[in-house]
Amino acid sequence: MAAVELLYWFVLLQAFLGGNVSFSDGVGPRSESGQQYYAAVFLNRSHVSVGASANIGLFRRDGDSTWANIYRPNLYTFGIGLWKRGSTRRYYVAGGNGLHRSDDAMKSWRVLTDWRTEEILSVAPDPVDSALLFVSTPWGVFRSTDDGKSWQRAMRGMKKNYVQKVVIDRSDRRTLYACVEDDLYRSTDQGEHWTALHAGVRDVMNVLQNPLNPRHLLVGTEDHGVRVSTDGGMSWSSGGGLPNTAFYGLAVSSDGKTFLAGGYLTGLWKSTDGGATWSLLWQHELLEAIYTVFVDPADPHHLMVGTSGQGIFESYDEGRSWKHAGLRGCHVKQIELYP
Amino acid sequence: MDLQQPGRSADLGTFGEMNIRTNIRLLFVLFIVAVPIDVRAEESALLRANFEARRQRLIEVVSRERDRSFNTVTAKLITGYDRTWALAMLDSLTRDESIGGMFYSYSAIGAYLKLHDQLPDSLRQKIRTAFRTRTMYRGDTENHWVMYYTGLYLASQTWPGEDRSQWFNGKSSAENFREAEGWLNHWMDLTATIGQGEFDSPTYFITFITPMLTLYDFAKAPAMKKKAQMMVDLLFVDYAAEHLAGNYCGGHSRDYPEDITNPLSAPAALWAWLYFGQPETELWQENRYRPRNRGGWETIFGATSSYRLPEIIYRIATDRSSPYVHTESKRVRNVIRFGREMNPAVYKYTYMTSSYALGSLQGGILQPIQQHTWDVTFASDKANNTIFTLHPFYSGKELAMFFPEEQKFLSDEVDRYHLVYTNPNKWNSSSPYEQAFQYKNAIIVLYALDDRAEHQHIDGFFPKNLDSREVDSSGWIFCRAGAVYVAMYPLKPYEWIEETINWRWRSKERINGVVVEVGSKEEDGSFEKFKSRFVGRQPMAGTSAGHSVRYTTRGGDRMVFTFNGTRALNGKAVSFASYQLFNSRFVQSERGSGVVRMMYGKSVRELNFKTTTVREWQQ
Repeated sequence: MAAVELLYWFVLLQAFLGGNVSFSDGVGPRSESGQQYYAAVFLNRSHVSVGASANIGLFRRDGDSTWANIYRPNLYTFGIGLWKRGSTRRYYVAGGNGLHRSDDAMKSWRVLTDWRTEEILSVAPDPVDSALLFVSTPWGVFRSTDDGKSWQRAMRGMKKNYVQKVVIDRSDRRTLYACVEDDLYRSTDQGEHWTALHAGVRDVMNVLQNPLNPRHLLVGTEDHGVRVSTDGGMSWSSGGGLPNTAFYGLAVSSDGKTFLAGGYLTGLWKSTDGGATWSLLWQHELLEAIYTVFVDPADPHHLMVGTSGQGIFESYDEGRSWKHAGLRGCHVKQIELYP
Repeated sequence: MDLQQPGRSADLGTFGEMNIRTNIRLLFVLFIVAVPIDVRAEESALLRANFEARRQRLIEVVSRERDRSFNTVTAKLITGYDRTWALAMLDSLTRDESIGGMFYSYSAIGAYLKLHDQLPDSLRQKIRTAFRTRTMYRGDTENHWVMYYTGLYLASQTWPGEDRSQWFNGKSSAENFREAEGWLNHWMDLTATIGQGEFDSPTYFITFITPMLTLYDFAKAPAMKKKAQMMVDLLFVDYAAEHLAGNYCGGHSRDYPEDITNPLSAPAALWAWLYFGQPETELWQENRYRPRNRGGWETIFGATSSYRLPEIIYRIATDRSSPYVHTESKRVRNVIRFGREMNPAVYKYTYMTSSYALGSLQGGILQPIQQHTWDVTFASDKANNTIFTLHPFYSGKELAMFFPEEQKFLSDEVDRYHLVYTNPNKWNSSSPYEQAFQYKNAIIVLYALDDRAEHQHIDGFFPKNLDSREVDSSGWIFCRAGAVYVAMYPLKPYEWIEETINWRWRSKERINGVVVEVGSKEEDGSFEKFKSRFVGRQPMAGTSAGHSVRYTTRGGDRMVFTFNGTRALNGKAVSFASYQLFNSRFVQSERGSGVVRMMYGKSVRELNFKTTTVREWQQ
């Protein structure tokens, strides 16, 4: 046990001192399925005048702890998205200056929105209809039904404008969830109308749906930990054992059994009972916050967390040991495995 | 008579290489010979000549500089001085990505258009390529967007008909032009009806005026050119009405500490020198105002522009023959959460005299990070010519009202760039615990801090170079700066902390406030006489109906002010609802009308943003 702990601290020390930690298991940056890891990096506000070397935008993992900056859309990159059908891929970047898309394997990009649809905080392409897109912004949810040529505000039923995130239900593409300033909202008609789910908290930052049970929802909040519903949002309870602080990152294993939550000055937490109770999985004093938590769909033992200002950490043993995985100094808002 | 000369060449013409003193003499001779007998026409001609002399002087001075910017490149290539260095610098700038996108985009296209005929084809091509390969960040503030969209408008106008592959954002020339035109029209309409969000900023004035001047100079569409000209007029008259001897007076949306505590060091002061002829001293020569390493040569965009300031704005900026009250309404920058409306109104009240200005905002959070709520600024040869108080407030939630990031990080992130945001000793701050009520040269500023305030004190700035700072046994603090007198009555105990350039007045009482009256030799006679007018004149503070103060000014006006309550003057409640976009004897505009009327003597100049027309007449 002591040796494990020693190794753990050695790895962390190496990571923070800038050393590259090598592992003998040969796990590389590309998953066994040939997919690649991508990260959305948000710029620290301190860099208004930004140089060519600034780490912002979309990154693709090139090595054990190296990431290539493949697109720099704007100072502020909030998230990424993918639409795929057959061999067609459409990659999205949600940025402060609009929604960006590449149709040619990220060789070129174009901005789909204009100044009337700005500060794109998240993107949710409809999984079937390539022309149907949803984005969340501080001004509400916007929807495009014509492949991004035009955008309409889709807010009927919402009491506040600020929408941190919009996601499409895993089991029903007509159902959407929106994380709004005052509550979690649901639409069952593709954004035409919205209903508050009375999650009992304000400043909803994230929502997660159990892949095996669409009525099982978790929300992360700015100040009130994680709220859980197992009846499709009819009733809610607080995740036991969690501090009442911000939880931005939520993830679930593909078997729907293990839930992870990371937040502000609190480390990474784990629940194996659907979010009812939680225990601390990993914490380090240098970590300010975890923005995003990633469970590798190709390898459930492989976890990654995107942090505020410390880049990415990863674990290949379900969170027992961690190493730094690159993008030091970066605010990593989202990590995905894309084809 | 008007200083406006549309279409006039921006180059130096005949005088370009000549010594500035020779120019002034020659212009004066020409003036003497050519002007008609009419005195007013003579004055107007002299004003024009003086402006021409100043702008040529500036171009010449900047052409001798070697700082890394489009400004010096422009000045050098216009004068022909140091041409080789300038071309090499421009070449270097086309490769340098350390200049932020929005700052780069408008200045690069501005330099391209100003210097087009002097640039080798290779350099022209490099600037064009920059708009294809380089990310032109749009940024996240009003001034960023003005710069970005001005750059995008002019670039897409310059290279029309090109497809999406030729632009950094994957949009065609036509798409970029439409978007930039749409946003610029939106911003102009908003500004002309409910005011700027980053209003009246001595620091950021340059980031609005230089893009608008460039747009005026190079927009091909007559309507956009006209609107740009009207926006330049509007920005200048907004400044002019609160201008005193180079100082941008009154409350400000965004201001840096060094510019708040030393008003003539603000970049806006150099624009006052160029267009208003005040202060007379060349600021860049005065280290106490504008250390040379602060740069500020964006003024070259004015000096090389074909825009000429209408004489009526010059008159408004410089005639302080009698005191006046000037009120304005502006807007809070877009509130994206934790608020009830997107752009709540900001109410400004400024009292202008020939020797000082007392100005204020209503208080509260009206702008994140760099708000300056109130001060008295006095015309002076000395630096640090101001006195004010503030509550140093910071909060992630405050920032999250305006920025979309996670609120727990915002304070730290802003601190990294603006350095002082969380500092308990900072000199710029909005605060929900501060409110002001001003009437002419008297102001009551109340503070009501609660447990949530990180910093539990109030600070005041008193420059050390005051001629006098006395604490009277009555509780009044009396100050004299030349012919200007200030009396301040703190409601609660306080201490003095000596600092490099100032005394810091600090009070640690949470329910607090100050009453301030300002006077002058002209109004009050001697300093002793001024002080004597406050004998037995103590404000009455009460808490029965909330944190409240009653005070009768030395002029006999009864002011009653309750924090989060009413402001009453002589028994009548004061309502901000009556505030217009501008209201004074010099500028009037009904909020929402889009019509701004400037008045001086019998002359009237009207900007109508609804019809994009400018009218002038004599009353």
